Amino acid sequence: MLWIENVHLAISAIKANKLRSFLTMLGIIIGISSVISITSIGASAKGAVSDEFDSLGKAYMYLMINYSQLAEMYTDYSIMGDDLFSQEDVDALKERFPQDIRYATLYTYNNSETRVGRTTADLAIMGVAEGYSDYNKTIQMVYGRMINESDVKGSRDRIVVDVECARKLFGREDVVGEELPIQVEGDSRGFIIVGVYQMEETLSSQINAAMGMSSYSVYVPFSSMLSGEGVSSYIEIYGNPDKDVRQQGEAYANYMNRIKDKPEDFYMVETAEGQQDIINQVLGVLSVAIGAIAAISLLVGGIGIMNIMLVSVTERTREIGIRKSLGARTRDILTQFLIEAVILSVIGGIIGTMLGVGIAALGMSIAGVRVVVQPLVVVLAVLFSAGVGLFFGLFPARRAAKLDPIEALRYE
Amino acid sequence: MSEVIRIENLSKIYENGPLQVKALDQVSLNIEEGEFVAIMGASGSGKSTLMNIIGCLDRATEGEYLLDGINIKEKKDDELSHIRNANIGFVFQFFNLIARTSALRNVELPMIYAKLDRQERHQRALQLLEDVGLADRGHHLPNELSGGQKQRVAIARALANNPSILLADEPTGNLDSQSSVEIMEIFQRLNRERGTTVIVVTHEPDISQFAQRVLTFRDGKIIGDTRKPSNEKGGNSHAMD
Repeated sequence: MLWIENVHLAISAIKANKLRSFLTMLGIIIGISSVISITSIGASAKGAVSDEFDSLGKAYMYLMINYSQLAEMYTDYSIMGDDLFSQEDVDALKERFPQDIRYATLYTYNNSETRVGRTTADLAIMGVAEGYSDYNKTIQMVYGRMINESDVKGSRDRIVVDVECARKLFGREDVVGEELPIQVEGDSRGFIIVGVYQMEETLSSQINAAMGMSSYSVYVPFSSMLSGEGVSSYIEIYGNPDKDVRQQGEAYANYMNRIKDKPEDFYMVETAEGQQDIINQVLGVLSVAIGAIAAISLLVGGIGIMNIMLVSVTERTREIGIRKSLGARTRDILTQFLIEAVILSVIGGIIGTMLGVGIAALGMSIAGVRVVVQPLVVVLAVLFSAGVGLFFGLFPARRAAKLDPIEALRYE
Repeated sequence: MSEVIRIENLSKIYENGPLQVKALDQVSLNIEEGEFVAIMGASGSGKSTLMNIIGCLDRATEGEYLLDGINIKEKKDDELSHIRNANIGFVFQFFNLIARTSALRNVELPMIYAKLDRQERHQRALQLLEDVGLADRGHHLPNELSGGQKQRVAIARALANNPSILLADEPTGNLDSQSSVEIMEIFQRLNRERGTTVIVVTHEPDISQFAQRVLTFRDGKIIGDTRKPSNEKGGNSHAMD
């Protein structure tokens, strides 16, 4: 019963000094809101990143030269044509692991500007083999078809474009049969559009759009993009998603070391999973750093609460004397002031939580990512602010509780 | 009549550096239930110190003090809080109502510490305010009340837990003569009708006229203890004329 009384008392004391109470809460509000917004932004970003990797498929990986290992092994090493991958290597790899490798191709990539009439567009050109869209789930065909086997075999200048790109260049969506001029190896060649696809929006496409990088992803047969020697630094692979991806990657790299007669660890595999781990690590470090800043602001907020509670105890010395003379015990006064400190900081915590969620929602809506608010974090934040109030309220409350009733009654 | 207060050879000594100040010097005193006692004396005579000790706000250096047969010396601070709550009603010179808190809630306060339930203390607080003639002022804040009204709220608050003694320290010190008479009459009425033991500390002889027994202090000692004839008991409303 005394608890309810104390809560009433605390609220009326806080109300009596609205501005002062608000200023006192400010430290807590800033601390809690930064914790909430950072953890929400972190969780949202993690979610978006993992969505993106999910769309790539978790068995997505690429085989590459292990450059950091090379730098360790040799002081001065220049890459030879033989170190790069050729179509024979891809075929050998597929032959060796027929059960696990679903898709493997030499990786080719190019940036080029294209022009239709007076309209230009920047293209990010990916070389693919047949069946690519079976694994990259972000590609949804709207018109025509994807790059097929005969396009690849014949190294034909065929292209599949994004629906946005079609709209920009031609002013319509169904542009199958039209020709796009593209620079490959210094030559301008005309590529015939065989298909139009729509891309599922991902974090990177949204970030690119937000930053004004309006480069359109288009797909061509990888064979049409290969250089004269027909080699590439990477092999793009979709492995078996039901088996351990890392182990598969190691097996592929080891096999490649063997058939190309290279020392151990000459080749390596980067997996989507591995990349995700790196991004998560970066996000983790960022969270810890900003968490530390938030902790400092909570500490400052707590000291603010202690300070104002000490002022309050001094101001209300006489009241404390009156209460004691009417029968308040030491712990009655202690709880009265503790509850006031806790309520002050919990109100700050609640305002901070709402503000933090608001900031996260605003930030995420600009980036176009769905907001992830973790309920546990919200509960912890409010509990933590209560803890701050309890901890920093204890000293002033003890001082109040220990006042001598006669001294307190005489206090002017 | 039973004994409410029994004081034997009570001394209070303040250590002020090398100096010893004897605020009370070997005081012995009994007060019976239902008495109306005035304690007179100049400032520094020891009357306030005695008041604080009787009110269990302070402890004696030497000697015995029994309140309702309870030996105060042996009690811990929190036990003294309980005794103040249950056995003593305080009325102060400066009213000492809690600011920004309605008259009603001020009266409820001792009952909150006595852990009475909400409904019960609310009813009782309303009744007590009515008894002191402030039935319609329950929701007023202290700064909306006159001095006399404030003191009446304080009396209602002092009576909240049916204390065995009502202890008033210069209760009229901050009031005009009209209000002073009203307050003293309330004390008289409580003493007469309810049999409440009332102890009033004052330096005004006019105020002491309301009591049946007057104790006079000087230099920490009782130098006078006079009782009015019993036929005049409680009939002193003309004293301020």
